[in-house]
Amino acid sequence: MIPELGHVFLVLAFVASIMQIVFWTYHINSFNELALDILKKSALLNCIFILISFLILTYSFIISDFSLLIVSNNSHTLKPLIYKISGTWGNHEGSLLLWVLILSSFTFLVSYKKTHNNGELLFSIIGVQTLILCLFLAFILLTSNPFERVSAIPIEGRGLNPLLQDPGLAFHPPMLYVGYVGLSVSFSFAVGALITGKINKEWAQQIRPWITIAWSALTMGIALGSWWAYYELGWGGWWFWDPVENASFMPWLIATALLHSIRILETRLIFINWCILLSILGFAFSLLGTFIVRSGLLTSVHSFASDPSRGIFILIILVISVGGPLILYALKSSLFREQKLQFNLLSKESALLINNLFFTTATATVLIGTLYPLFLDAFNGDKISIGPAYYNATFAPIMAPIILLMAIAPFFNWGKGKSKNLLKIIAILITTSLVSVITLYTIDGSSIFAIICGSLSIWLFVGVVSDLIIKFTETKIKLNKVSNLFIYISKNKIGMNIAHLGVAIFLAGVTGEQFFKTEFSGRKNIGDTFSIGNRVLEFKNFETINGPNYQSEMGIFTLHHNSKFIGYLKPEKRYYPTEQTQTTEAAIISNFLGDTYIVLGEGNYETGWSIRIYFNPLVSWIWAGAFLMALGGVTSIIQNKKTFNNATKVSLNEI
Amino acid sequence: MNPKYRRLFIITLIICTLGIATQLILMAIRDNIVYFYTPNELINKYGINKNIKNKIRVGGLVLEDSVVKNKNFVNFTITDKKDEIRVTFDGQLPDLFREGQGIVAEGFFQNNKLVASQVLAKHDENYMPPEVADALKKNGAWKGDK
Repeated sequence: MIPELGHVFLVLAFVASIMQIVFWTYHINSFNELALDILKKSALLNCIFILISFLILTYSFIISDFSLLIVSNNSHTLKPLIYKISGTWGNHEGSLLLWVLILSSFTFLVSYKKTHNNGELLFSIIGVQTLILCLFLAFILLTSNPFERVSAIPIEGRGLNPLLQDPGLAFHPPMLYVGYVGLSVSFSFAVGALITGKINKEWAQQIRPWITIAWSALTMGIALGSWWAYYELGWGGWWFWDPVENASFMPWLIATALLHSIRILETRLIFINWCILLSILGFAFSLLGTFIVRSGLLTSVHSFASDPSRGIFILIILVISVGGPLILYALKSSLFREQKLQFNLLSKESALLINNLFFTTATATVLIGTLYPLFLDAFNGDKISIGPAYYNATFAPIMAPIILLMAIAPFFNWGKGKSKNLLKIIAILITTSLVSVITLYTIDGSSIFAIICGSLSIWLFVGVVSDLIIKFTETKIKLNKVSNLFIYISKNKIGMNIAHLGVAIFLAGVTGEQFFKTEFSGRKNIGDTFSIGNRVLEFKNFETINGPNYQSEMGIFTLHHNSKFIGYLKPEKRYYPTEQTQTTEAAIISNFLGDTYIVLGEGNYETGWSIRIYFNPLVSWIWAGAFLMALGGVTSIIQNKKTFNNATKVSLNEI
Repeated sequence: MNPKYRRLFIITLIICTLGIATQLILMAIRDNIVYFYTPNELINKYGINKNIKNKIRVGGLVLEDSVVKNKNFVNFTITDKKDEIRVTFDGQLPDLFREGQGIVAEGFFQNNKLVASQVLAKHDENYMPPEVADALKKNGAWKGDK
């Protein structure tokens, strides 16, 4: 009975959304405050309906109601509670329900935010959001009903794919979805601007926090996924240029471009059309990502049981929600008046423009690498795969100039102003980078690419730190108390600096992991010792253990570094009887300088076990960097909100 | 810069970037594409005793009783029920590698065997790599439920 209630609420939300769309189209040319108010309230209603439906599904997973098809296919009574809950979105139907839940929440949040004399825009934004919601609800109800019952109720469920039973992965999908769906807000802002035909600096100020939220969440979501792949798959790598990874990376690249171009729009009111186009494209790539992952076109741990009709449905949604706005764009984008401003070659405008050019080009290379195998297969049946080598040869050289620019661009001025510190800064950057080139050159096993990558990281790091110091001296705060640090942070907009610092740290991690990784693989038996550099590992023991819902074979190793005992490493091979699946659990000792990563292969007491060991220098900096980027995004939202509020207060006082 | 020069500057910049990017992409695609073959396709295309310069992927079922594990490497045979290709691999086999299972091996084809640098099996027991499933269906060797 309860699951039917969940279904009913989902249908209610669908019917309500259709009514709202009819109401919206009817009033679109005769906008009034009352209509806006009704639409706002109904956005809340949608959100509540879907939330109830989602909670009911979660409840069914918690009590293991195996009369539901997706629960019996994806859950098990012995599973720990957290994975019962995360199991709600660990399958196709449930993950779509989460998708629409986040979408309706965003719609509600947008409508809830106070806007000053911008009601007409808001009216269109809610309308567009509801339209997307309606399409996705139709998709769920027609092809992927999460509340489908089974006729013969099984006693026990089939369990969740053990690879997905992991804390990192429990939060990866929700985070990523907040990012994907968050981009729908900037999309709706753009379509809203096209419908109303009005755009101004206030539009850019209002859209920016939404882009930043989506971008930060996307950054965290991708980082969590990469972290999970690193420790769970046991391949020792953190990014594989897998099509599914690319599907989340492309919206991120577009969102990054948009995040930067919206700054120009906000301060100068130029490049309006470009920003609108990017807003539409950002969400288009989110949908494309959903399509690639959900259609079963590609194989990966993400493609749950797939069904071609679902793929076609998502393709239809993609065509409607991107094609429509693009036609609208072609018709109306010439209406927008740009300011006629002049700017120097060395100005913030130019720098941000180049940033956008490179980011979109980089997106194109990733897009081609992802889709080319699919096209070739459809075209002449040739089956090919495009691996990391392609991306190292295309994506990396396009991103390198961006990093060069990233360190110096913050010192440029807007428009025609000359920058005071630029020459001094460039001198400092060149000196420090030369030092780093020489240092890296002397390190064993370093290559030309290692030197380039590492020096770019130093170059950017020094650039960011210089900018922070200049801001520091300009605010004239003495750093004799810790509390002054907070004053400094609150007085300066440092969100951008934090994010750029994140990029520098990320790059340092990449340099360590890509170019200075050492690897050992071979067959070892109990009692054997082996060394990598000045690290010594000893194979101590082998045990079999029973976990809550698995059986495990565990090797026990000790790690010594410079003859100092560091710790135990316990890599496992787990067997999940319910799912009849074997997984590899790598053991990792992680610290600031690098990870020792060990994987246990098959073997027995006579022949020994096949063992793989990696030493990955600085690898944790990769995720630390990504975290700083997201933190930078959040900081800038908070700081902008403050200044925005202060600005409105001031203007109110003036009145 | 006045607007006229600005436009010129922007257009030149776009053309240069796109030109360089296209060049990079074409070069990378030429050098770094990995073709997928079934044993039958591979033999039909290249014959038996030919070394292939580029990296390739070969997919099919692991032939029953063909897996020989040595100290540091493993030998096995991939079959599509028509032809067979011998594979030698010195890394760690994936968890789901076993005889009769559909797998994909990537590496260089030399001296009548594939020297694999990577062996891929799918995460899910019931799952066939789609390329392998396609190829086996074509041969009529496998009738899956998909």
